[in-house]
Amino acid sequence: MTQTAVIPDVSVGRGARRASRGRGNAIDTARKKLFVPFVGPALLFYSVLFVAPSVYAIWISFHKWPGSGPMEFVGIGNYVELFGDKLFLQSFSNTLLLLFVVGIAVFAVSFGLTLVLRDMAGRKIARSVIFFPHLVNAMIFGVLAGFVLNPGGLVNTLLGWAGVADPPAWLATENLFPLIMVMLTWITTGYYTTILMAGVDRIPPYYYEDCALAGANAFQRLRYVILPLTWDVFGTCAVLWTISSVKIFEIIWIFGGSTGQGIPPTRTWSTAVYTYVTAFSGESIPAYGMASASAILSLALVSVLVVLLRRVMKRDAIEF
Amino acid sequence: MAKIRKLSALALISALALSATGCAAGADGGQDSGGTLTYWSMWKEGEAQQKVLAAAIADFTAETGITVDVQWQGRDSVKKVVPTLNTNNVPDLIDSSFAKLAPVLATSGQARELTEAYASDVEGEKISDLIPDAYLADTDITREGEEVPWMLPYTLTSDAIWFNAATHPELESAPPKDWNAFLAELDTLKAANEVPLAIDGDVSGYNAYWYTAALVHITGPGAMKKIADDHSGKAWEGADAVKAAEAVQQLVDGGYFISGYNASKWPAQQQAWADNQAALLYNGTWIPTETASYAASDFQYSSFPFPTIDGDKQFSRADFIGFAVPVKAKNAENAQRFASFFLGKKYQDALGTDAKILPVRSDAATSPEVASVKKALEEADAFYVQNDGITLPGYAEKLLYPTIDQLVQGKLSAADFIAAMASGQADYWKQNS
Repeated sequence: MTQTAVIPDVSVGRGARRASRGRGNAIDTARKKLFVPFVGPALLFYSVLFVAPSVYAIWISFHKWPGSGPMEFVGIGNYVELFGDKLFLQSFSNTLLLLFVVGIAVFAVSFGLTLVLRDMAGRKIARSVIFFPHLVNAMIFGVLAGFVLNPGGLVNTLLGWAGVADPPAWLATENLFPLIMVMLTWITTGYYTTILMAGVDRIPPYYYEDCALAGANAFQRLRYVILPLTWDVFGTCAVLWTISSVKIFEIIWIFGGSTGQGIPPTRTWSTAVYTYVTAFSGESIPAYGMASASAILSLALVSVLVVLLRRVMKRDAIEF
Repeated sequence: MAKIRKLSALALISALALSATGCAAGADGGQDSGGTLTYWSMWKEGEAQQKVLAAAIADFTAETGITVDVQWQGRDSVKKVVPTLNTNNVPDLIDSSFAKLAPVLATSGQARELTEAYASDVEGEKISDLIPDAYLADTDITREGEEVPWMLPYTLTSDAIWFNAATHPELESAPPKDWNAFLAELDTLKAANEVPLAIDGDVSGYNAYWYTAALVHITGPGAMKKIADDHSGKAWEGADAVKAAEAVQQLVDGGYFISGYNASKWPAQQQAWADNQAALLYNGTWIPTETASYAASDFQYSSFPFPTIDGDKQFSRADFIGFAVPVKAKNAENAQRFASFFLGKKYQDALGTDAKILPVRSDAATSPEVASVKKALEEADAFYVQNDGITLPGYAEKLLYPTIDQLVQGKLSAADFIAAMASGQADYWKQNS
């Protein structure tokens, strides 16, 4: 609904602007007058609470600073160090793995579920069930992982009954990151399924009737009806996932970090965890400059990817 | 236009209101009537330690008329203090462990020398006499060029090799003194079909205890800190560092650790230990309190100190928890007054008996669970702190812990561990010098 409401509005705005260049009209003048009072407060708050701290973070990233006392200017030194730090590069590649591998898995599963759930009986209940993991605090999964996957946990007990004498070491350091990726896919799928389903539900039934009349098979229906009409929803979901995946923190922290007992193993770190440990590990002198540099790089990554995504996904909005 | 003016006025008013709240907070913290102090505590409401402190605060206010504005912040209190250090609105008094206070307060010059506190007395005894000299001699709580410590400890944590005295009375009467006797004991346990050692291998700090303790017991306190300062990393190839790594490797190769220790989540293995599924657990003085709720019935906590390795010197870990006062504190005098007040015998006894931790005063009461640790501390030749006092930015989290993890989990041999530390440290200093 919002989409249909917004789209004509935007086109009116564009039309009006174009018209004003020629001769100007009363509505446009009134609109111009209202621009500052309406946008001003939001812009002010946004600048004070978000833009200014971000700019300050960029400033900090050019310094060596333990959080208090004098700052020592090092130019781009922190960035150079970051790219020379194997651990940062590993954290960065973990972030990319989360973004792309988990992202593709989430979208594939969500889209599959959407198609299955579209005309399934009891789909409202099914939808709630799928959405449920997203409501649960990541902390619970961390604790649960211990119960289920510890050497004497549920999984190994079941395997023992099934006659497996030497079960895998599920929570060994090298297995943690793949486990985190699986867990994350499971948690996130419901969320995107819900959004995609809302998009699919929006498609008026007469298109499907039309397909049936034209003798289109399931794939053709997907190709010519569902995909084009939910493309904008896909685009939005892709942007949402990009932004949230670069910030993934708590699931890694809790999955590997023994529920608050220390820091997770470095092999599971994402850039967000790297940033946090660099600034707030609590057991060594904080390196705020380095942490800010790492955070700024994450922000840059998100910005570039979002711009690229918007480019790639750009289609004319279809009104229906 | 009227509308615009109205809206701009609204925006202006909200901006003013926002800055006014900022000012108000500033003014609040700035009250310097001499009758208040702000204290951010590392304890959480409901903890035994918090109850002792709350009682002391009530007594302090009744006695001096100074009101204490206390906030029970929990373990992250120091992280929350850091941003305030750049403002004029710092808490007057904070407390935490030495390991957390030192990197953010002491190294950046943000901690005050506690001259008044150390010069004052409580119940007729001078504060400086209440802290055992041996602790002050070995630990870093006085900065270079200063006379008086920046920290006033009120309790300390140490570590020990814990066991159940009900099932292993022989360990209480004749604990293994040196490394070879310790290994022999582990073999005896193994031969009796017992799991000798429990360890939660996912907690890097616990893995690091083994290597740090081994190295300190070979070379002495400060050994690892000195090695960490070597920019070439070659110091890791020294005989002592290698020997300590080999000692840890002996434990791995001997198969003494509980099965699955490298693929479990804390507290699985310490639970197994408390359930008598393993004989020994090398861990901190909080273990009796932490494992009490799931320990087997009739579990009797007892411990012996980490065995000597080279020579017969016994070193004990002594990590202080105590008060510090930021340089910018406005009520620094009141803060120091409360800090010394809290060293009163009554509160020290309560910390020992109610909270079951180790009070810093040697004449304070302790609970029977930690009596063996207190004895070890009294007999120790010298003391060392967690990670041997290394506070270099990111060193422990990014280099030392991950590498020791691999040694303890059996993924690196002693030789590979040394090589990894040497090259890792060279890289570290290349980046951080």
